[in-house]
Amino acid sequence: MLERIASPAETTAGPATPRGHRLDIDGVRVRYGQSVAVDGVSLTVEPGEILALLGPSGCGKTTLLRTVAGFIRPDAGRVTVDGSPIDHLPPGKRGVGIVFQSYALFPHMTVAENVAYGLEARRMPKAEVVRRVEAALAAVRMEAFAERRPRALSGGQQQRVALARALAIEPAILLLDEPFAALDRALRLDLQLEIKRIQRRFGVTAVLVTHDQDEAMSMADRMAVMRGGRVEQVAAPAEVYDRPGTPFVAGFVGTTNALHGRVEAREGAGYRVRLDVGATVPVESPRGFAVGDRVVLCARPEHLALREAGDPDPAAWPARLRLSLPLGPSLVHDVEAGSTEMKLHESRRGAPPAPGPVRVALSPAARPTLFPAGDLA
Amino acid sequence: MPRLLAPSDRPLALLILALALLALLILIGPVIVVLVTSFTTSQALRFPPPGLTLRWYEALFDPARSAQIHKAAGNSLLVAVTVAAFSTGLATAASLGIVRARARWARAAEGVFMAPLVLPGIAYGLATLMFFSWLRLPPSFWLLVAGHAMIATPFALRTVGASAAGLDTTLLDASASLGASPWRTFRRVVLPLIMPGVAAGAFLAFISSLDNVPVSLFLGSAENDMLPIRMWGMMESSLDVRVAAASGVLVAVAFLLLVVMDRTVGLVRRMAG
Repeated sequence: MLERIASPAETTAGPATPRGHRLDIDGVRVRYGQSVAVDGVSLTVEPGEILALLGPSGCGKTTLLRTVAGFIRPDAGRVTVDGSPIDHLPPGKRGVGIVFQSYALFPHMTVAENVAYGLEARRMPKAEVVRRVEAALAAVRMEAFAERRPRALSGGQQQRVALARALAIEPAILLLDEPFAALDRALRLDLQLEIKRIQRRFGVTAVLVTHDQDEAMSMADRMAVMRGGRVEQVAAPAEVYDRPGTPFVAGFVGTTNALHGRVEAREGAGYRVRLDVGATVPVESPRGFAVGDRVVLCARPEHLALREAGDPDPAAWPARLRLSLPLGPSLVHDVEAGSTEMKLHESRRGAPPAPGPVRVALSPAARPTLFPAGDLA
Repeated sequence: MPRLLAPSDRPLALLILALALLALLILIGPVIVVLVTSFTTSQALRFPPPGLTLRWYEALFDPARSAQIHKAAGNSLLVAVTVAAFSTGLATAASLGIVRARARWARAAEGVFMAPLVLPGIAYGLATLMFFSWLRLPPSFWLLVAGHAMIATPFALRTVGASAAGLDTTLLDASASLGASPWRTFRRVVLPLIMPGVAAGAFLAFISSLDNVPVSLFLGSAENDMLPIRMWGMMESSLDVRVAAASGVLVAVAFLLLVVMDRTVGLVRRMAG
């Protein structure tokens, strides 16, 4: 009886307790022949947190995940869990659970056998295995499918089984490799919420690899935007969106309008910028620029507003409205000013304006970001 | 109904049809002839038989009259089973190595492993005899097994390799990450999934060893008399009709194994589904 009460499986049914583990990636570098896949990445994932590795394909995010999983030996750097290095350990001894993009369920085993696999590999007593399998399947609401084979399940169900299998071994770290890529768009949000809920309940520290910004936004507590084997910015999703660290991040996370210009003067907490499209605008910025520096102003579609063609405001610039598309509650304007194309996002009021000459200005509450011109790659 | 062939293609179609029929005739005809002959009432191998009887099968299965044939058959079966196990094991190890290694040498190795398929059997048989006597190894059961395995392994490698190539290597990663040892991964994940190929490979290796003549001819001995060699000897000396009966048994056994294997491999496949 004592044994039963003390068994760790019991605690999974209890309330959410922050008992996650801390993952540190320290200066990890991975080369494939001549090319560097991961170029000195350092990241910390706090206990119980979901960190998303977001970036285009080839940015090194999957290589980094496989390094943490133990499938790839880094050329330099360390990976530690709660401060102790795990670099020398094989994948199965790292306390890492993985949900693969293809789910990688064993096709010749039932759902229950799949979930039991990791527990049996640990030579756990049979009764304990049965209990843990039941608990894990209950957590993902798949108890009714225990005797099915993976092929008889839908994509979403397979994914939940894969999650149950990864969580059954009670990993310190949960790795999710593009877990929603193979699913219908309509299903994704529901499953994202569900996985996040389960992750919270288990209190497990998680790393999510994705190229889909919406997925990173909805799942992650923080996201690391990667490009070319390096981390460009690590911050909470809203922070990354509102204050992108680089022009690349501004373009990759959300849509951005890049407006080139020159710093004309310091002004308050920022600068007065003369834009090439023909306007002078005040922009707040914590960065240091000298008067005369070439800069790029990255403005979100909702940072810009349409004005009447005759508006005399010197902070507005002349442009031509090409098209307006109603998108649910909002209106997307396709605008060009000379060779610069812009997208504007406004809430829909009345009939859409007719195409033709207009003026465009920063909307009053807009907080666009200013970068040195050289940063725009 | 659309016409499959233009009128000008008709001679070609007829030629292909004729070739196909000829191939069937050459493949099935001799089997039928030997089967029918094995029931002959005459004292010699002759077709068509003057009458039908089971006496040659009785003679073949009579322990006293056919003791030497039984001994040779026993030797052949033992060698074939050992070769099947050995070749399938080698083929499995090689296939998994080739699948996991993405390197160019792995592709080259595959070619080398398949090379015995084009080896002239009689030359290889002679070479093994000379090689082993140079090493002062007397003919033995294990030398026979080694010689046969050399010929049989490429057959096994073909089917096992095809199965292994279809193996999703992510499953191996999943198994490793769940804490399974390489041996457990092999036993619980890899082997069940490539079982159809392994079973088919074992069957092919078994058959290839069972009716191997060139290697058995040179590496066999009085002690390790092999069935095909014994049958050849009986043919040469006396046109013994028991040879036809033995052929009939061999054809029947091979056919039966084929059916059984198809059933089990199909079963395994269903289990994998």
